[in-house]
Amino acid sequence: MKVFIDPPNSMILFDLVERFGHEPLSTMAAIQERVDNLEVDMPPMNVTLDDVVRGLKYAGIEVPSGVRGRLAVWGPMIEEADAAIIVDDAPFGFGCVGCERSELMVKYLIRRRGIPALRLTYPETEEDGIEFVAKVKEFLEGLQ
Amino acid sequence: MIKIAQLSCGTEYSSVQYEIEKAARSVGAKIVYPDVSAADINKAVERFGFRPHSSQLKLMIARAIQLADGNFDADAVFITTCFRCAEAALVRNELRRFIQENTNLPVVTYSFTERMKASQLLTRMEALVTIVTRKELLARERQAGLTAGLDSGSSTTKAVVMLDNKIIGKSWTPSHDVVESATQVLNEALAEAGYEYKDLEAIGTTGYGRFTLGDHFSDKVKLVQEELTVNSKGAVWLADRQRGEATIIDIGGMDNKAITIRDGIPDNFTMGGVCAGASGRFLEMTSRRLKIEVTQLGALAEKGDWRNAKMNSYCSVFGIQDLVTTLGEGKKFEDVAAAACHSVAEQVYEQQLQEIDVRHPVIQVGGTSLISGLVKAVGEVLGEKPIVPENSQFIGAVGGALLSSGFL
Amino acid sequence: MSRETRILMICPTSNVTPEMLARSIHAMGEPVALKETCYGCLIEGEADVVRRVADKARDMEPYAIYSKRRAYRLGDPVRCRAQHGTRPGYSQLEEEWSKLSFIRAGLEAAERGEVPAERPKREKLPVMKFKEICEVKE
Repeated sequence: MKVFIDPPNSMILFDLVERFGHEPLSTMAAIQERVDNLEVDMPPMNVTLDDVVRGLKYAGIEVPSGVRGRLAVWGPMIEEADAAIIVDDAPFGFGCVGCERSELMVKYLIRRRGIPALRLTYPETEEDGIEFVAKVKEFLEGLQ
Repeated sequence: MIKIAQLSCGTEYSSVQYEIEKAARSVGAKIVYPDVSAADINKAVERFGFRPHSSQLKLMIARAIQLADGNFDADAVFITTCFRCAEAALVRNELRRFIQENTNLPVVTYSFTERMKASQLLTRMEALVTIVTRKELLARERQAGLTAGLDSGSSTTKAVVMLDNKIIGKSWTPSHDVVESATQVLNEALAEAGYEYKDLEAIGTTGYGRFTLGDHFSDKVKLVQEELTVNSKGAVWLADRQRGEATIIDIGGMDNKAITIRDGIPDNFTMGGVCAGASGRFLEMTSRRLKIEVTQLGALAEKGDWRNAKMNSYCSVFGIQDLVTTLGEGKKFEDVAAAACHSVAEQVYEQQLQEIDVRHPVIQVGGTSLISGLVKAVGEVLGEKPIVPENSQFIGAVGGALLSSGFL
Repeated sequence: MSRETRILMICPTSNVTPEMLARSIHAMGEPVALKETCYGCLIEGEADVVRRVADKARDMEPYAIYSKRRAYRLGDPVRCRAQHGTRPGYSQLEEEWSKLSFIRAGLEAAERGEVPAERPKREKLPVMKFKEICEVKE
């Protein structure tokens, strides 16, 4: 099944979703699609004006362009996802996840879709790590 | 290659990063990002003391600290964030202040929308590069030889002819064709000075049409430079404030500039976006409604009280509508004129002057500084009467003549 | 098939070095481009080959090697550190790398079939209890 990960660029989540037999939906894939599109030359990410305008689907014109641009990249993946794993309070969500307002909206969009979602926090100790992995494993194995 | 350090949030997702780099490239500069490690970021945020929720803003702070500590080599700083983001606006402004207090690097800040194009940044980027690369030229305080300055603005075109640090000829005309307007005013200024074109030793061009004029008068033009640095030099020469600090306010026909200077060299500036409601254009429109010349508007406004003619909008369309309504209610013309001046002054205060630390004295220049009611309104808003030097509308042309003489 | 670029990262508590990882991938003789990095390596090739290589590489030490896709090609100047300084996502990777040993502990526990013990939830201190503490301190 397709599992949206948040932070959408997380190595830990991407790895675990694959390890337990599902397909992670990540920023990397969405950006690769744009980067590999040779018809567009808007480096570094080829997020275009059209993308930002498409972001109006998720947030109005009074919302900053950076939020709409981000939602234009993630929104379609959230719509496509069968489930989601969210790590709250990621210590450093940079670049694509650098904007807190966009992050709030992503979590809300997941919730609004009503797909199964697991919410966690990053592990700080081995004990946390054991609990973290156990929850992810249980969640992913439970997806039908 | 001039290195401009970029501190930003949202550029890559707003389709503007490419435009920023394009603008930098076109003025011979390169955008760079101060390197930071994850460990630096927490320390930086602690030290700075402002803890934004968005981590990209934390990264901006850490990058600013790298610059302040001299760990990263850059010549200038560009701080930019999404328009309408409050969190980023706070960080952007405080980082601008921090960089200015802790480095000697020129800084420019900008809030962008997804529609921002490289051309909007060009003048700002060019000014950053000029400040870095032409420090010695900008330090010039006296004009020498026989030179001319041409200022091709959006509303008016101005020419000045100078000989050995004195203005000996000047002229202006409303802008139509860039080359025709400039040729006309240059010939008029030369006639007043009693010289001919062939006698000129150098010409400096500035303003929107500077490149076109640079090409057209290529046999004489020694300097083609953006109006931020050129106008600053012109302003301090005219006001005889070459040394020390000052703030220059230039309310133009299409956009506004607020520039802080130290010893005649700009160290920070803001340029308003193109908005008719916040510029001289609004006063022209008001004059037309009042059926008077714009040159008469100032004296009329001085006699009025803006409080008697409320305006609910800054927009040139809706603001003018307000004025019409007010006139319909039988309000006095002088109050309406005062309200129009107050509206422009208030907008300049709210939009431009918030992004720089106003230094004293304030020198008001540009064509609109001849509108006494506007100078009065700026003084009221600032709580300090601005200095308006003689020939204040010729700053760009004077700056051009002065700086181009540096190439003789 | 489409190109896939992958980041392989070694857990900080592992004895595997990026060099060992790179050597073992070269030894597979698969058609992938490889770049050794300070935290592991980057590999690039056809998507199915890259995935096969990543899975096999992981066999060196199953719970110590992690991977994710990367949007940009190997050495893409747009994202080259020498050109622009660290890209924004790098700090995220640094942070996650520092936590990989906890994930490793989790995966190993899961393999052993361990169920994490229910941990007592931290609750707020009742006012009366706080009062008692204050009184003892006096």
